[in-house]
Amino acid sequence: MSLSSSERPAAGTYAGTAAIVAFFLVFLFYPLLYVFRKSFIIDGGFSMTFFRQLLENPVMRESIVNSLVIGATVTIISAGLGFLFATLMVKTDMPFKGLWGNMLLAPIILPPFVAAIGVKYIFGKFGMVNSLLMQLDMIEPRHPIDWLGQPFWGVVILEALHLFPIMYLNIVGSFSLIDPSLEEAARGLGAKGLSLFRSITMPLLAPGFFAGSSIVFIWAFTDLGTPLLFEYRAVAPVQILNAVQAAQVNPIGYALVVVVLAVTVIFFAASKFMFGHRRFEMAAFGRTSGTLTRLSPLVKLLLVVFMTAFVLVSIIPHISVALVSFSQDWFMTVLPDAWTTEFYAKVFSHPIAALSMKNSMLFSSLSVILVLVMGGVIAYYLARKKFRGKEVLDACAMLPLAVPGVVLAFGYVQCFFGTPIDPRMNPVVLLVISYAVRRLPLVVRALYAGFQQSSVTLEEASQCLGASPGTTLRLITFPLIRANFLGAAILAFAFSMLEVSDSLILAMQEKFYPMTKAIYMLAGRLGDGGYIASAMGMLGVLLLAGAIMIAQRLIGSRMGDLFRA
Amino acid sequence: MVSVEFESVVKRFGSTVAVDRVSLKINEGELFFLLGPSGCGKTTCLRMVAGFISPDGGCLTFDGHDIGNMPPHRRNVGMVFQTYALFPHMTVEQNVAYGLRFRKVGAADRKRRTAEILERTRLEGLGKRLPAQLSGGQQQRVALARALVIQPDVLLLDEPLSNLDTRLRIEVREEIKKIHEEFRITALYVTHDQDEALSLADRLAVMRDGRIEQMGTPEDIYARPANAFVAGFVGDTNILSAAPAVRDGTSGIDTPAGWVPIGDNAGYALPVGEFDISVRPESVKLADPSECDAAGTVRSIDFFGSTARIILELDNGLELSALAVGPSTRWKKGSRAGIRLEAGDVVILK
Repeated sequence: MSLSSSERPAAGTYAGTAAIVAFFLVFLFYPLLYVFRKSFIIDGGFSMTFFRQLLENPVMRESIVNSLVIGATVTIISAGLGFLFATLMVKTDMPFKGLWGNMLLAPIILPPFVAAIGVKYIFGKFGMVNSLLMQLDMIEPRHPIDWLGQPFWGVVILEALHLFPIMYLNIVGSFSLIDPSLEEAARGLGAKGLSLFRSITMPLLAPGFFAGSSIVFIWAFTDLGTPLLFEYRAVAPVQILNAVQAAQVNPIGYALVVVVLAVTVIFFAASKFMFGHRRFEMAAFGRTSGTLTRLSPLVKLLLVVFMTAFVLVSIIPHISVALVSFSQDWFMTVLPDAWTTEFYAKVFSHPIAALSMKNSMLFSSLSVILVLVMGGVIAYYLARKKFRGKEVLDACAMLPLAVPGVVLAFGYVQCFFGTPIDPRMNPVVLLVISYAVRRLPLVVRALYAGFQQSSVTLEEASQCLGASPGTTLRLITFPLIRANFLGAAILAFAFSMLEVSDSLILAMQEKFYPMTKAIYMLAGRLGDGGYIASAMGMLGVLLLAGAIMIAQRLIGSRMGDLFRA
Repeated sequence: MVSVEFESVVKRFGSTVAVDRVSLKINEGELFFLLGPSGCGKTTCLRMVAGFISPDGGCLTFDGHDIGNMPPHRRNVGMVFQTYALFPHMTVEQNVAYGLRFRKVGAADRKRRTAEILERTRLEGLGKRLPAQLSGGQQQRVALARALVIQPDVLLLDEPLSNLDTRLRIEVREEIKKIHEEFRITALYVTHDQDEALSLADRLAVMRDGRIEQMGTPEDIYARPANAFVAGFVGDTNILSAAPAVRDGTSGIDTPAGWVPIGDNAGYALPVGEFDISVRPESVKLADPSECDAAGTVRSIDFFGSTARIILELDNGLELSALAVGPSTRWKKGSRAGIRLEAGDVVILK
């Protein structure tokens, strides 16, 4: 019988799906399979040798353990902070909620590896804090305190500060989707306090809670930039970076990558399968706003003090980077002796910095085009078409959430060795593709939300009136979700500009350095390197802050959903 | 204008049969209704005519031409959606003129036809507004204008009044009737509201579980429902069991509401054995208990002004609904009433 547009897929749907599947096969599955094969197959036979060597190597063992501990610690701290703030904001009548609501999200705009540059100037041996203590004669100039002597805590604190807003957004989102009358009903049935929390609130929050946790854990577990800047090399991602070049002679790196990937996939799958299939949230009609816990004036006052203190601490990294970027020279003084904007000018004149800015703009723009096309097609198919294999397409689009940047970049370098897109020769193609792959889940979600918000009936009405499916897409569907496209594009661009792992691993020659690699290289140089790096970091922060603000406007209240697993 | 014909059309969704061998013909210029409860397959039928879904079996034709393979945008079908589906980013004028863009209508002509239809649907002056700035009734009329301006071969209306309040619904119902009489377009109207169907339809089909239970004019279906489902769905009714019984030489039927003389001139033969009959509430005549074969006690009275619905509990325990016209002061809750049924009030069900 006949086919029709909204019912059965046309040939185009299959062609589009096939193209996307082919892309995934080449740029997502092939690199991963290549790594698997190299790690398990020795001389044509299956072997666990590399894994045994990996676990026998004390440095490798320590690195894996350290990364796991970093991931777990950051997740616990973020979850605790996120839960505390979400509860205070949603469930109590704490004063100044509007202010806190904005300030709590401020850390999200500062990538921790940029923050690390500034923090080193403040907490370094000859930094602001020690200088202050010396002036106050509290420490001896010859014995400065080594605040960053434990790089583990530096990494954990900066990552947790950066990531707790994701937990906060997820938990607030879950709270707002739970019908307060459920809690009231449970109260009516006699549940109180902890038992109410355990029996009703926690089970209902769990899906959002674990969705946030898995993103945070994977992020912290595989973050390359922050440990590098703290020169904390005994972590898995830094070992992977080292192994990139050595992989041809020392295949133990393959095994390490497999272990890291296994951890992230297990974590992701656990949160997905334990809770993904049962979302309890309900959008009940006529929902009441729920009763707020009334706090006593004393508690309110204490909370204001606590919140102010926390917010101030949480923006120390921002302030420190800003100070560094404007200081002439900052060494052994509380504040810089002189101020200047020359390093912002140098961002656009210094050969490495200027070229890297241009590179990043180009790579990010290209990747945005690629990810919008792919994400648009995928989201359209998922929202509007019925066809076999839809679940597979959906899973593929979300898979990059579970595949860390270090893993993907490592795979790219190895499997495209000697091909025309070998990153040793010219990494542009793979940089653009890796940026696009990493932003795909975000873009698919933002656009899918748009397609869902605009009713399919409008498209049917248009076709009834004589517009072909293509014309309908152009005149009806696209204009209605233009905001989502723009929001997704802006976010994808900003995140690509600040993408760390792929940039550090794939860009090997100076002429191909993207912004983040240039920041890392400059931060490590004596002289004005750190200042230029800070200025670049500040520009990145401004870009990200602006992008998030605009995207929030465009995409609206569902922004929080974009940061879910 | 065309005629639309379903020939043994089948549509399945997974293992459920949504439309089961439906055959019907909508004549040129006819306003045809599909009436039935939700899930009966009526909307599926309509969406097949629009081309959003295609039949799994049978044949769907416009003027005898199979349109099974034709995509929606080539069918020249105007459709009014339940939610109106007005394009939120376009003004009323742009919404209405949208379909003309694809029909090679010149700019001047487009403008003229748009203005004309807006006037005919009493929307003049609202052309520059966005749909969100209109009331529900106005939105409904824009949807209608947008569907009519393209001079469609077939007009489809999918529960077009269900989002309006009662008063507006009756108003717009009248308007649709007037517009249809004026345009005389072949139209298929889907609803679960029997009042809409009875008051507007030239002919209608009552559907249940994907099948057509009965097809005919509103008068036919109301007066002579084919079975208990149709009788109950189209208007209120009392379903009673009955058996043939001869009294004093006159043939008739025995019912829980008393014996009803049928006579030999009824024009139909009585079935053998037990069967069901339908008696409309307005056919149940209440009288003095002493004059009647059966009687009961008034259990409740719903007063509507010109009429009153009386629920009567018969002495044998059965409940019967009666519609009394005019002053119904005579019957009070708890008072005794007799029942009289006449041959013309009884419909024998299959």
